[in-house]
Amino acid sequence: MIAVPGRADRVATSLLGRANPLATLAIAIAWLLALATTTDLRPPLLVAAVAIAAALTLGRVPPADLARGLAPLWLAALSVGFFNALLSPANADPAATVVLALGPLRLTEPALAAGLALGLRVVAIVAVGVAWGRITDPTHLTDALVQQGRLPERFAYGALAALQAIPWLAEDLVALREARRMRGLRASWHPRVLVGLLVLAIRRGDRLALAMDARGFSAPGRTRYREVRWAALDAVVVLAGLVVLAGIVALR
Amino acid sequence: MAGISLDLAPGSSLLVVGPSGSGKSTLARAVAGLVPWSAPGRLGGLLELDGIPVGGSESGALVARIGVVFQDPASQLVMERAEDDVAFGLEGRGWPPPAMRARVPAALAQAGLAGFERRRTARLSGGEQQRLALAGAFAPHPGLLVLDEPTANLDPPGALAFAERLATVHRARTATIVLVEHRADLAWPLADLVLALAADGTPLALGAPAELLTRHRPALQAAGIWLPDEPMPLLPATASARPGPALAEARDVDFAFERGIGVLAGLDLAIEPGTGVALLGPNGSGKSTAARLLVGLLRPTRGTVRVGGRDPSRVAPRDLARLAGYVTQDPERSFLAATVEGDLLLGLTPDERTRAGDVAAALGLELGRFGSRNPFTLSGGEQRRHSLACQLVRRPGLLVLDEPTFGQDRRGYEGLLALVRARVEDGTAVVAATHDLRFAADLAGRVVRLAGGRTVEGLP
Repeated sequence: MIAVPGRADRVATSLLGRANPLATLAIAIAWLLALATTTDLRPPLLVAAVAIAAALTLGRVPPADLARGLAPLWLAALSVGFFNALLSPANADPAATVVLALGPLRLTEPALAAGLALGLRVVAIVAVGVAWGRITDPTHLTDALVQQGRLPERFAYGALAALQAIPWLAEDLVALREARRMRGLRASWHPRVLVGLLVLAIRRGDRLALAMDARGFSAPGRTRYREVRWAALDAVVVLAGLVVLAGIVALR
Repeated sequence: MAGISLDLAPGSSLLVVGPSGSGKSTLARAVAGLVPWSAPGRLGGLLELDGIPVGGSESGALVARIGVVFQDPASQLVMERAEDDVAFGLEGRGWPPPAMRARVPAALAQAGLAGFERRRTARLSGGEQQRLALAGAFAPHPGLLVLDEPTANLDPPGALAFAERLATVHRARTATIVLVEHRADLAWPLADLVLALAADGTPLALGAPAELLTRHRPALQAAGIWLPDEPMPLLPATASARPGPALAEARDVDFAFERGIGVLAGLDLAIEPGTGVALLGPNGSGKSTAARLLVGLLRPTRGTVRVGGRDPSRVAPRDLARLAGYVTQDPERSFLAATVEGDLLLGLTPDERTRAGDVAAALGLELGRFGSRNPFTLSGGEQRRHSLACQLVRRPGLLVLDEPTFGQDRRGYEGLLALVRARVEDGTAVVAATHDLRFAADLAGRVVRLAGGRTVEGLP
């Protein structure tokens, strides 16, 4: 298969890609926490816009990649907003202005505003999450978690290896369903397929653990191929993130 | 595995041979210091490396001096990118970062993967993954190399290049080598010492290669062990193509898993009943994809595939299983029951059930002995023959095999070949995607090569 090495490297060498993933993670969390303090409509929209713009420019994430990640966003925001508006207790208030009435269903102005606010919150959370996910290289994150976050190595690198095994799981599923078809059985979600999937996953985990040990994972005096350190860039990123946040909060 | 005693001098090489299921892989794991410390098992007697007992408190440090490559390359790649994966072993051995940065590209280049540093390991082809596993094992300059079927997934030029590289290491005496390998023509010339195991895991013979060949030849042959001077083809050819309309046909087929990344482009192939076709091609050339297209597991992006005049991807499973059979490259991914017998009988008609036992026995998997075993506990060679039995029992008109001979000892190979040939003579069309040139010769019919996404007839 032909790999496309250029795309991931473009992100990895970008300004945000080079920053410590823990610094960008801290900013992402700060932004989302600040949103919880306001019910205004403008801050979540601005946060989402800044996150997407930063990923595209400072993170050099290809627009098509980002768009694919954001695809479920619209549906999630719409459904959260819609159902919260529809089921809001504000609809029962006889004094409220009615926007829409359909038989027994009443949609009032305060309920609509509450739904909109919640929907926009979802937009912001998903946009920040997807933008951070796209600028963050899993290996870089793991290295930072181990070296700065003091996470146990065995857990962190094990989790990284497991993350890579997810595509394998999908391939196992395809293969098992194909095997059923070639035995004249329907390629359905037969319990046997799920058991097979579990067996294959456990065996792969066993082999992976063995391979890690065989390559000296448990030996004392482990060194690091990629050293992740706090750099001036990280301070700049954190500071800029906080300034942007202060600006957004001040604007409301 | 029982009662093995030997001394291996530093810088010398040991080849371990034996029939399928004789414990070669277990021995390799034990020598690599992983039993019982990381892999399950009980070790009796004394196993020492450089005077340090294996399995003791110093095992972690001991393992750091050993480079290991296991059978399945995909499941031993640990990191997301090729360079990190090679570096993983160096980190564990405490290499200083500047030395690692110099060593990683060199190790990749030596394995034939120059420029692969940033490639994602999961996206590599089977052969490329094998090369990466080798690069990772060689990178720390280990004092002991333990290699379990290292050439299994390599195309013939790749296997030859690897054997030459191992010969260089051996000549320089920089590492002691323990090699498990079925490809006798490649492996025997590399060995100072050959250990032959019997089917029950006891030692059959131990000695220099020449000595073994002169003094123990009948015993080795009787045990089903491949020898370096086997004739090729192994058995005289009997099958011949029959004139008549094609049973399976691919016409002008294009296929791409992802838009813009085509695997096949303009594939044309027609297979008459009663023919054996060997499908050859380098690593990543699309052999497995072509195989899955022929049995309707994939649908072509463009062009048509017909089996018996029907589009196999639209045939109901019940009918498809009698129209076409397919043995996947990775047998573990085709096991659907907890026992060998249950798996074999799955979905069979009463008529087919009565002959299931005979098919299994012809492949050396008598149900009396193997029927109640879990298919996952079979050896690699046995697993492959079992998944073949599961397909042969329905007598499909088209039989597509993906790497059927990998890991087979001589006896397993003969049984498999005899059965496949008998089917060809009965009018079955057989297509085998393979790197095994011996099997291509023994299948005797046509050789088709995949190059640039299309087919070329004959050997280069």
